Amino acid sequence: MVNTLTTMRTLSMVNLGLTVADIPALILEFLTLNSKPIMQVLLMPGLAFILGFAIIAVWFERKFLARAMLRVGPYYCGGRSGVLQVFADFIKLFLKEMIFPDSVDWFFFALMPVMLSTIPSLALVLIPFDANWVLWDIGGLSLPMFLAIMGIAPLMAIFAGWSSNNKYSFIGAWRVAYMYISGEIPIIICSAAVAIMAGSFNLVKIVEAQSNGWFFIPQFLGFIIFFLGVLIQAERTPFDIPVAEVELVFGWRTEFSGILFGFTMMAEYVMFQAWTLLFITLYLGGYGGPILFGNIVGSHIFWLLAKFVVLIVFIILLRTVFPRPKIEQMIKFGWNYLTPLALLNLFIVLGLKLWGIY
Amino acid sequence: MSEPKIKPEIMRMSWGPQHPMSGQTRVLLDVDGEKVHKIIADLGFTHRGIEKILENRTLLGGIIPVDRMAMVDSANISIGYVTAADKAYGLEVPERANWIRSLVCEMSRINSHLYAFGLQAEATGYFPAVFLWTTVDREILLDLFEELTGARWSFNFFLPGGVHKDLPEGFKENVIKGVQYLRRRFKDYWAAIVENYMFEIRCNNVAILEPKDALRLGATGPSLRGSGIDIDMRKDEPYAAYGDLDWEVITEDACDVMARTKVRFHEIGQSLNMMEQIAKEIPEGPIKVRFSPFMRAPEGEYYTRVETGRGELGIHMFTDGTTNPCRVKINPPSLRNMYVFERLAELNEMTVADIPVVINSIDPWYLDSDR
Repeated sequence: MVNTLTTMRTLSMVNLGLTVADIPALILEFLTLNSKPIMQVLLMPGLAFILGFAIIAVWFERKFLARAMLRVGPYYCGGRSGVLQVFADFIKLFLKEMIFPDSVDWFFFALMPVMLSTIPSLALVLIPFDANWVLWDIGGLSLPMFLAIMGIAPLMAIFAGWSSNNKYSFIGAWRVAYMYISGEIPIIICSAAVAIMAGSFNLVKIVEAQSNGWFFIPQFLGFIIFFLGVLIQAERTPFDIPVAEVELVFGWRTEFSGILFGFTMMAEYVMFQAWTLLFITLYLGGYGGPILFGNIVGSHIFWLLAKFVVLIVFIILLRTVFPRPKIEQMIKFGWNYLTPLALLNLFIVLGLKLWGIY
Repeated sequence: MSEPKIKPEIMRMSWGPQHPMSGQTRVLLDVDGEKVHKIIADLGFTHRGIEKILENRTLLGGIIPVDRMAMVDSANISIGYVTAADKAYGLEVPERANWIRSLVCEMSRINSHLYAFGLQAEATGYFPAVFLWTTVDREILLDLFEELTGARWSFNFFLPGGVHKDLPEGFKENVIKGVQYLRRRFKDYWAAIVENYMFEIRCNNVAILEPKDALRLGATGPSLRGSGIDIDMRKDEPYAAYGDLDWEVITEDACDVMARTKVRFHEIGQSLNMMEQIAKEIPEGPIKVRFSPFMRAPEGEYYTRVETGRGELGIHMFTDGTTNPCRVKINPPSLRNMYVFERLAELNEMTVADIPVVINSIDPWYLDSDR
């Protein structure tokens, strides 16, 4: 707030008779005063983190799964490791023609992939990388806000599939809706249990409450349910039912081409990233960990990223070993097992809290 | 293909030919949400007129197009034609040639079942890893084919009255080595994939084909034996050396997709046993009888039935005293099984997600059904 006021004052000085020659100095002043939020937007929970994750994760997934499939994977672009393949693919997608079939609702068709990759990345600003390294610190509202932002995403996927006016996309879009109602509710109940145990909806306070012991020990049930919920919400294997390739070509994304397809791919990884970070924050102690080299902020960011990398590798590994259930089996699983067990977890937490054990 | 009118609440979607899993066919699905009400198989995208081509070729030259009917299972298809040609010429095949024919046929059957199993795993939603593992395992068989016949695919190895070449030196040891390797691999596949819980929930109690329906609709091959009926041409009308080999017909009583998958799996085991037995006990002797490519076949009508990887293949051959057959009618197994696949939606409740699993449990080969 102080920064904003300072900025406003600085800008109003322009009207008070300052010359053009003063502008560089003013910009410099603005940058120095707001260096932390600018760094946050550009680097850590912001642009570099999101894009860097998408690039590295796509490369790693391709290379790693290729090894599992006894192949070599990307090989020619950027040396034998194929690191530059993702950039090459991105350039290719960017330069390719965007095909708009005659029957699409072009407004939603063009808008939804862009929204889908940007809106879930808004949720990332709520994740604490340190008690003082939260881009958008809204205190006790941060957990509900996160869930609210992430709750919009499936709706946009439904719109994207529906506006494509393709039969595969249509079925895929409704599969997204089914997945959403069977995966979101257990996640919200589990988050409520965590909030009760920590005594706050504030993500920073939830992390600080785990300084004595991570929440996955007292809430092991919730830990498992939330993990499955993350897989369901992020459409990761084995729950990649809406884009099931052998059934629905590419599900709700079938008609997208060029950079619009690139945006849907981007959206997948952003959702994956946001849900995984929330999972770490709620159950695996968030940024908590021993302080290294006396640098508190740096070591906190390091620990969060370390946990993040381990979890990502584990989730990508799941892709090689599991087939995919049917959508009706998925719904049955969500409503018959995940939701009742999440409620049981909530009652266990209430009991622990009531008898003062935790 | 004419498309009859459908009710407004039902959506007709086309599963193929532009689809990652469909292959060279189109399957029209009448769906209400996820439920499939009706399946219409639209075959004929790869019709090549093989029956007509055979009329313009000598009996020997006809082996080449027949071999290309199902590349993955070419030995089992061409042995049907070659057996008919044997009958037409009245040739007595030497015993050693029969054993070599059986060896190549069994290797081809494993090749075909491996491919079917890889696709089945992919259809249930495995990342293509399993398909590529089976493809790599197939290399063992392809190397053996190359060593014996000189070609990895579509080896036109059988001749009327024998086979082209004798077993090369050291081939028997290589066969036994390959059999041991494949046995180890199949044990792993069984534990890791067939008994995987997620694979079971996708395959158990899906697309049940009762024994009476299987007989009524004319199912054949693993689809028929998966319904508990032990019909196998190798046992019922032994050709090649199958009368002399120790093996049994595999059946499963569950009648569902899993039963068909298991039949294929156990048949691979039987084929490996047969390969081992042939490598150990093959009799000595000549491998072909004297035979001229321009020999005239006497006038007559011949019908042979052989068991391919996908089921019973019938070859009905008419000869009229020239070097060429005057008509060859081929009754391919995949065509019969595709009719069964169409009817399965009426016999069971099916969803869109079941379609790839069910069609791969039937294991059609469209080049074979379209001829």
